[in-house]
Parts: sequence; C-alpha cells; structure tokens
Amino acid sequence: MAASRIMETIPNGDGDDDLFELVAVGRSCRAVRFDVTHEDHEDLEAQHSHEPRHRNSLQRNSWSSSTQRVLSSMPSRSIRWNQTAAVSQYQSRSTKTRRRRPPNTPCTANQEVFREAQNCAVDGTQKEELLNKLQDLSAGECVRLLREMPLSFSEKHEIRSLVFCLKAEEPISANRALCCHQFKACFLKVLCGGWLRFQLWQKVLKNISARFGTGVLSYFIFLRRMLHYNILLFLISGIFLLLPQISNPPPPSKDNDTDLWMVTGTGILTDSVMFYGHYTNHTSGNYNIPLAYIFSIGTGMFVTCVMLVYSISKSFGKSFCTFKTTGNIALKVFCSWDFKVCRKRSVKLQSVNICTQLKEMLSELSCRKQKRNLCSTLGWLSVHLLVWSICLLSIAACMIAVYYIHPKIKPGGHKNNVELLTLPLVVSCISHLLPGFFDMLSRGEYYDSPSVHIYVSIARNLLLKGCIFSVLCYYWLTKIGYSQEGQNKQCWETLVGQELYRLVLMDLIVSLLYIIFAEFLWGLCIGNITFRRRKLEFDIARDVLELIYGQTLVWFGVLFSPLLPAVQIGKLFLLFYFKKTSLMKNFQAPRKHWRATQMSLLFIGLLFFPSFIGALTCVVYTMWRIKPSSHCGPFRNRNMLELGKKWIINLENSNPSMQWLSWAYVHLVDNPLFLFIIAGLFLTIIYIHMQVLDGQKMIIEKLQEQIDHEGEDKKFLIAKIQALNEESAQL
Amino acid sequence: MGNKQTIFTSQQLDAYQDCTYFTRKEILRLFHRYRDLAPQLVPLDYTNQPEVRLPYELIGSMPELKDNPFRQRIAEVFSEDGEGNMTLDDFLDMFSVLSEMAPRDLKAYYAFKIYDFNNDDFICKSDLEKTLNKLTRNELTEDEVRMVCEKVIDEADLDNDGRLSLEDFQHMIVRAPDFLSTFHIRI
Repeated sequence: MAASRIMETIPNGDGDDDLFELVAVGRSCRAVRFDVTHEDHEDLEAQHSHEPRHRNSLQRNSWSSSTQRVLSSMPSRSIRWNQTAAVSQYQSRSTKTRRRRPPNTPCTANQEVFREAQNCAVDGTQKEELLNKLQDLSAGECVRLLREMPLSFSEKHEIRSLVFCLKAEEPISANRALCCHQFKACFLKVLCGGWLRFQLWQKVLKNISARFGTGVLSYFIFLRRMLHYNILLFLISGIFLLLPQISNPPPPSKDNDTDLWMVTGTGILTDSVMFYGHYTNHTSGNYNIPLAYIFSIGTGMFVTCVMLVYSISKSFGKSFCTFKTTGNIALKVFCSWDFKVCRKRSVKLQSVNICTQLKEMLSELSCRKQKRNLCSTLGWLSVHLLVWSICLLSIAACMIAVYYIHPKIKPGGHKNNVELLTLPLVVSCISHLLPGFFDMLSRGEYYDSPSVHIYVSIARNLLLKGCIFSVLCYYWLTKIGYSQEGQNKQCWETLVGQELYRLVLMDLIVSLLYIIFAEFLWGLCIGNITFRRRKLEFDIARDVLELIYGQTLVWFGVLFSPLLPAVQIGKLFLLFYFKKTSLMKNFQAPRKHWRATQMSLLFIGLLFFPSFIGALTCVVYTMWRIKPSSHCGPFRNRNMLELGKKWIINLENSNPSMQWLSWAYVHLVDNPLFLFIIAGLFLTIIYIHMQVLDGQKMIIEKLQEQIDHEGEDKKFLIAKIQALNEESAQL
Repeated sequence: MGNKQTIFTSQQLDAYQDCTYFTRKEILRLFHRYRDLAPQLVPLDYTNQPEVRLPYELIGSMPELKDNPFRQRIAEVFSEDGEGNMTLDDFLDMFSVLSEMAPRDLKAYYAFKIYDFNNDDFICKSDLEKTLNKLTRNELTEDEVRMVCEKVIDEADLDNDGRLSLEDFQHMIVRAPDFLSTFHIRI
C-alpha cells in the first residue's frame, strides 16, 4: 500500500513551530486522474459503478435566455412557495380531518408548524394560523414547539407573548401550567443525574473537546456516566444498609493487625462494614438487616438496569439511520467538521485530516475496484486465521494461568499478605497488556474498512476480559462456595469480597502505573528521540473496555462487599484526573474519524449486555443456589431469595395493611402463567412494531423512486422547452 | 434560587427560558460572557431592553469561534442585520441552536443557512466550493474541488436541479447520526 506522508508545520501557542507528521495511506491503484471529459471508457465505467443512479448532468451553460427565464419563474425555485404550499395543504387537510383527529396532536403537526414558522415572518395571516394552532396545545408542548421553530429570537418572543396573551382568559392556570411544566422538567433532570452531569467537570470536558474533538470526549463522558451509576448504587446501599448497621454495631472481634491491610482488604477491614461478614443476621430494633441487605442490593441493581436501558434507548434514537450509507463524500463535506474543536493547532489538524480523507475518497473513486484473486484471498484468510489462533491461544493460556494461581490462595494458607496480591496483579497485567499485544498483531492484517478493524479489536478484547471474569466467577462460586462445612470457619463471602476488592484496587494501581510508564515516559521518549516528534494516539476503544471490565467487577462484588461502589467512585475520580493530565501532555488529536454517536451506542450496549447482565446473572445465581456460610453474615445457612419470598408471603399475617403486596407477589410474580402472558404480550408488541417499521421502509423506497421519476420528467421537459425555444429562435 | 439578580426582569428570564434551550443559570452565565466581550458597551441592566449590538469583530474574537473557519457565516446567519453584529438575543439564539439539546431539524436548518454563502436558499456549486475551501484551508487543487463538488451534488441532489435545497440537505443529514454531536459548541 502506498503511503504518502504529509509533513505539516503548525505553529503552537508558544511561538515555536511543531512539526507534525500526518500519514495518509492510499490504496495501490493506477495514478489518480481527474478526467472530467470521460474520454476513457474504463474510467466512465468506474464512475458509473460507484453511482447508484444513472445520471447525465444537464449542460446548463448552453440554455438560451428564454429557457432561463422560464426556469427562473418555476414555482419551486422559491423556498417560501414551498412553505405556502405546505401550509395551504395542511389547512385543507386539517379542516377535513378536524372531526376525526383530537386537537392536541402536536407530533404530526410538528413538521407543518416548522415550515409555517419559516414563512410566518413574511405573512401576517399565516401567523394567525400559527397562533391558533399553538393555542390549542398545552403549555409544555407549546414551549417545546416554540424552541424548535427556526425563527429569530424577537419573532419567537412576539409569538410567545401573543399566545400567552390569548390564553390570558385564565392567566393563573396558564402560569401554573407553565410552572408545572418547568418543575417537571427540572425534576426529571435531577432524577437522571442531570444536575451532576451539567456541573461536574464542565470546564475540563470543554477543554478536552476543544483540543481533541468529540471522539476522545466520549471516553470521558462515559467515565462520568459510570460515576453516576456508582454514586446511585452507593447511596442506595449506604442509606438502607450501611447506616442501620453502623448505628447498631455487633461486638468487635479480635483485631489482628496485619500489614498492607488497606490494599489486601484483610486485617481491620475483614470485620468492618466493608464486607458481608460483618452484617448481623437479626433484627436490630425494628430494622431487619438481612431483608434490608437483599432489598437494597436488589433495588440498586434494578434502578441501574432501568437507567441503562433508558440510556441505550436514547442513544439508539440518536444514532439510528434508516438509509444505507451511500453518499459518503457529501456527508464528509457537511457533517465532519467538529465545531467543538477550537484550539488553533487542533483546528488546523482537523482541516488537514479532512483534506486528506477527501483526497483518499477521490482516489478510491478513480480506482478500479480490484478483484481479489484466489491467491490473495488465501493469503488474506491465512493471515487472519493465524492472528485469531494466536489470540485465542493466548486467551486460553491466561485462563489456565488464572485458574491455577488460585489454589494458592487458601484461607489461612498464605504466609504473608503479599502473596494475596499475586492473583490480582496477574489478572490486571493480563487485562492491560494483552490488548496491546493483540493490536500489534492486527497491524499485519488487512481490513476492508477501518470500522471493521475497530470491531474486531473490540471483540478480541471483550473475549479476553469475559473469559478472565468467567474463570474467576467459576472458581469462586464452585470451589469456594461449596467448600466443606467444618473445614474452615471463615466466611467464604467475605473471602470473595476481599478478592474482588483486591482486584478493583490492583486494577487501579496497574492503570496508574501504565499511565505513568507507558504514556508519560514512553511519550517523552517518542517525542524527544524520534525525529518527527510524534505524539501518542488515544485508543478510545481499549480504555472504554477497561472501564467496562472494572464496572463488571463492582456490580458482581456489591453483593459481597456493599462498600465496593464507594471504592469504585474513588477509583474513577483518580482515573479521570490522571488520564486527563496524561492526555493533555502526551497525546495528539486523533487522525481518523471516530463515529462518536455509533460507538457510544455500542459501548453503552456492551455495558448493558455482557457486563451488567453477566454480573446480574452471577449475583442472582449466588442468591438462589449457593448456600451462605453458616457462621457469619446476615443469612447464615438461610437461602437469600427464600428469605425474601417468605417475608413477602408472610406479610399478610404480620402486617394486614400490606396484604395487597403479598397477594400481588403470590398471584402475579410467582405465577408462571401470568409471566407467560406478559412475555407473550411484549413479544407481540415488538413484532407489530417491526412490521410497522418494515412497512415504512417500503413506503420510503417507493417515495424515493417517485422523486427519481419526477426528476427525470423535469429534465425531459426542460430539454423539450430548450428544443422548442431553439426552433422558434431559428424561425 | 436565593440570589436576586437585577439584570433581567423575571418575565424576561422566563421568555428567554421558553425560547431557548437554556436554564436561568445558563442564561445569566451567557449574559456575562456576552458582556465580557465589551464591558463598556453592554449595560448591567437589561430590564428596559437597551438596543446594544456588538460588532462582528468582537463576536469573532470569542475563544469558541476564533479559529472556526465558518465563524463569519455563523455570525451572519444568527444576526438580525445579516452582517454579523449581534444583540444579546441573537447571541443566546446562536448558542441555543448550537447546544446539545437542540433537535436535528433545527440544527440542519441553520447548518444549511450557514453553508449557503450567497443566501439564495440553495446550496449551489459556488457555495460548495467556498465551503470546501474553508474546510480544507485551500489545500485541495482546483480539479479536486471540482470533482468533490460534482460528487456531492450527484449524491445529495434528489430533484436533479443541480443544487441542494433544504429538503435535500435535511434528507442527507438524516443519514449522518454524527451531525448532532459535531454541530455543537460547548459554552
């Protein structure tokens, strides 16, 4: 592959010039020829094979003046005529259908109001119509439509005052409705953590986006979102579990002062609120700690689930595109400029990147698409197979290593606390270093498009982390959970909780060391030693997967160590500041275009599906199947889920006012028939929506065909007019 | 909540809140940003709606816009006089449309107007050429510019009149989910 390097001198803020190297990689092809006259038949073929529709451009310059006059008076040449037509259409439609349609249907009226608003600056009567329509809507809908109108502020202000004036017959209710709407918006924002979102790290994120653009910003926004989830989890478990336990502490056990207790979670921390074993198994005062344990953790997981699903649906709405991505050059020209970038150097870099990408796209168009012959296909396939087999083998080796290191960690079997740290160290090193190794291997591979490359590396990374996590879980839940009764008097739950605590902490320590060594020191080396003073590039996918892995550990560990979310909060804070500092010092703005919206959807999806659902499955399995240890903790040989069930069923006896809850549980939640009906209903609704979507896609295709036909007709008529004008000019 | 501000009346603040995507706090913060551009021109008391218009040079010197190649067009599109001289209302309107919460259609409309250099409600070839030159800082050769313009019109022009109307532009924007995140200025 031919690589052309563009050396660009860009002045930085200090007055020196930084020499940047921008590498453009072009495919091997014939020399780029921008042959507009289509003399070469092969070029013409190549051109047409890339165009979805056959087109001959009209030779506009050779039209006669009479044709031009006719064309300039075509009604469609004026944007305002479009709106008048739309408005008159809407009016005629609305008078017919007013009886059928309820008056408050702002969502279908949206488009017409939008278009009408564009025109209403000109025409007074249309303003009247607009005002009438707005009057019918509720205050909230009115405000929403007002904001979406593409008018200047003074016009909007005028419309607003007129509408609220017209509603002035009941001025109090209008104001109250508006107040209610504002309050509701504020409340929803607070509920979704919006207050935190809009205030925490606002300036820092702005600086990051100014220098590095939307792609790198998405990592930090993801980090902030995970901070929300952890804060929520910590608040729920803190208020309902921690405070009651702290207020009624059990008698303290003997305090074995071990060293490194903070890192290993042993010693003082063993019998603290940090871990499962400390919590009492009886009702202190009126407060039933075991029940509180189950319900607070259950509620925390449920709320996290709801918030994740809500984020996914919002992300999906933003990134959904119904059409296939033809038309890449047009999108590159209009949609690729990132307006957030505002540092001079980054702006210049962005211009250079876009320029390079446009040149690459043009050169791709002029090339003939190479047909891969059998030899090169085999070569390509064998390289891929080789790399995949190396990756899978290394993952298998790591799994075996992790599994066999474990038996060293027997309770009471270790000599000193440092041995306890071996396993977390090995796991963290594997999860940090092996993805880099995979990336190095994949440089030898050839992919059709860069996005496929990213997806494959994400898949490998995910496989590695998933396998490691499953080996750990398997070991904990089968070996430790089912260990013999009389053998050890220690809490297996506390042991597992301590291991997870160590894993989370060690992950943090290894991340920080990695930042210091691999980013600061190595970045310094690269910057000073090599001639071109190249800086590092931020690998967004790898870092996001790190975050997801850490979060999976926390979600699984919250059952054994209710304070683990607090540890994670501290970890995320530290990580944010370290990463931000490292980013500003050692990294340059990314060269490739990062499709932030789609990748954000992918990452939220990965956070939900393998990460949260996996952790939740393990937690539910633990609660359901595995017998709690008999000497410690809130459950002591009682099954967690059974306890909850029994309590709800007994509610009708103990507390007659909550009888409905008991009834609801027995007849609805615990009843397979009801669940079957509900599942069937959901599937039916999903199926109906899918069919509606298919129907709409078909309609869109048909409409597009119609537009094509109209275009052909228009070209035909224009040519005919031209011919007629020429004839009459000759006569 | 607790602190009484005397810059705007509460009706004015309500009006600003209803017509833009900003909260009260953000509106006040933006007012102070506007005022910082020219403290001697902008009074601290807007209750009697003074006619203050900041010249384009001051708007274009804001750090968020200073190096943006499209800053002149942005200022022209959002200013009432079309020259880039902005009142506070125009200023708020501009950052409201460019904020995170503005919907796709609204952003597409204003993006269309920004890229329409000659204000004829169509993006014709000359508009495209100017856009490209601003995007790439005149690094593309003439041939390349011509090829790209032709390709863009080929791809996006649905009704075959050789230039992009608002509908063509909006239809194309639907295919780019990234547009919402790139057509966004943080302030």
